[in-house]
Amino acid sequence: MNLIDWVILVARVALPAMILPAIVIPLVWYERRVAAFIQDRPGPNRVGPFGLLQSPADILKLFMKEEVIPSQSDRFLFYLAPGLAVFSALATFAVIPYGGTLTIAGKDVPLLGADISIGVLYVFAMTSLSVYALVLAGWSSNNKFSLMGGIRSSAQLISYELAMTTAAGGVILSAGSFKLADIIAAQQGTWLGFIPRWNVFPQILGFLIFFIATFAETNRLPFDLPEAEAELVAGYHTEYSAMHFGSFFLAEYVNVIVSSALTATLYLGGWSLPGFHPHGVLGVLLSLLVFAAKTGFLVSVFVWVRWTLPRFRYDQLMALGWKVFLPLALVNLFWAAALEMWKAAR
Amino acid sequence: MIGKIPLADVLVVSAALFAIGLAGALLRRTAIVIFLSIELMMNAANLALLGYGAALGTVDGQIAVFFVIAIAAAEASVGLAIFVALFRHTETIDVNKINLLKW
Amino acid sequence: MERIVFDAAATIALVFAALMVLSRNPVKSVLALVVSFFFLAVIYVLLFAPFIAAIQVIVYAGAILVLFLFVLMLLNIRHEGSGKDPRPIQRIVGGGAILVFTIVLVALLSKHGTPPGLPPASEAAAPHIGDVARAVYSDFLLPFEALSVLLLAALVGAFVLVSKEHRP
Repeated sequence: MNLIDWVILVARVALPAMILPAIVIPLVWYERRVAAFIQDRPGPNRVGPFGLLQSPADILKLFMKEEVIPSQSDRFLFYLAPGLAVFSALATFAVIPYGGTLTIAGKDVPLLGADISIGVLYVFAMTSLSVYALVLAGWSSNNKFSLMGGIRSSAQLISYELAMTTAAGGVILSAGSFKLADIIAAQQGTWLGFIPRWNVFPQILGFLIFFIATFAETNRLPFDLPEAEAELVAGYHTEYSAMHFGSFFLAEYVNVIVSSALTATLYLGGWSLPGFHPHGVLGVLLSLLVFAAKTGFLVSVFVWVRWTLPRFRYDQLMALGWKVFLPLALVNLFWAAALEMWKAAR
Repeated sequence: MIGKIPLADVLVVSAALFAIGLAGALLRRTAIVIFLSIELMMNAANLALLGYGAALGTVDGQIAVFFVIAIAAAEASVGLAIFVALFRHTETIDVNKINLLKW
Repeated sequence: MERIVFDAAATIALVFAALMVLSRNPVKSVLALVVSFFFLAVIYVLLFAPFIAAIQVIVYAGAILVLFLFVLMLLNIRHEGSGKDPRPIQRIVGGGAILVFTIVLVALLSKHGTPPGLPPASEAAAPHIGDVARAVYSDFLLPFEALSVLLLAALVGAFVLVSKEHRP
């Protein structure tokens, strides 16, 4: 592998890892302005034009605050948990294609981190690792509320992981492959000339289950009892201050972006539009914009739901995950299998 | 040879992991660590199975490991349930102290 | 390149497995084992089994060991109870036996473990994830269905063992 190959490889992997945290900064501003709009108040509008500098100011404050560490806490685990949260959030993005195929120096460079044969399974593997970050944060804080928050959170995560993976099973079935690039390729073309062949249309139930399960996976309202701001102080990140808390905050928003990107790829056709074949740099830029638009739309839904719906109680949350979403996801799997058999029989 | 890795190396790693697990299972007194050592021994066996499966080019190695992992999950849940039930009665995790047939 | 990754992953897996056995704190043991299993999954990828590697991380490291951690935290087990070892002879003899066993096993496997006359395996000829699925649903269908019954039995059994008895 010569120098060009190395540079391309590093860029494919490192660029999203660097850009994702950078996107979080305007995302926080966006969330606060939308929250304010829904709650009929101005929102941040003093620091910079339209309050745009509020987020950088907050980041600066977090960096400069004093870090308070509880004296009886398990030091190593206390430091490890936020890092693990950020790591699993960023690592998940490695297999999501964020654009078409670029041709650099005679080589086809697909715009994704790594095109491995178990694409979607890798995403679920990294999501499983994020459970540890929450559990360790709750445990190492040596605090009843943090422990309860940590255990609730991890129980919620592993319950909704089941519904999420079974719903995604329907998509994998219809695409015939685990690779995300193949799943996008299977969503090309249109029905009746104008409805794109996105998976959301035949598998609307699967889409709803998957999307709602990602709310639970990212600990966002209405499933955010583990960090319930009014009930458990701050749940598993009660004892974290300054940049430790900033890391959890960053990890949560990166998880939101990655979950939206994953939903867009699995159900909304990723970076592709019907009848659009990206050629050259301009085409690839356009595919990037399409991907960003779809992801941005889903992120807006995340923000919208957060400030609209009240929180689920913990037993309601678990009952919903096991008794409603898992059976419905299985029904969706059967439905997807029936569709495949009908397609094969035609 | 599996790619650039000789099969003997994979087997040696598997044997070393098995030995560490065996040492943990026989020499430690905490029930949880004994249980974890048993899981480690199962993983050592998985590694050996996959090594042979890859060297022979068959799918049987992966199938065997698939079943082993699922069965290990079932066994871990029942084992931990036993552990919880035991701990509730005896309040200790030292296996040397759990030496009565009925209490 | 694969050689370096294999050596590094194997060393880290062994080191953390040893840490698991030697640690006094059960929580640290579980976490050391998580790291060890993760690097075992890396080795599985090198052995052309990416599906099993993903299953290892999702099921073993991501669910079974989380279950261990839950049990430890719910029962609030922070550190192993200290106490004198009542039978040190057990440790000495046991340790010696394990040492002998390891030496014999490693020697045997490195000399005679590999079947002779085997062609080198390549990634292209390795079984694909589709082949695994096809085999599970055709040749190994009965064990697969039996496995689902086993999981149901384990679920019910665990529940029965842990639920408190209601004495009339």
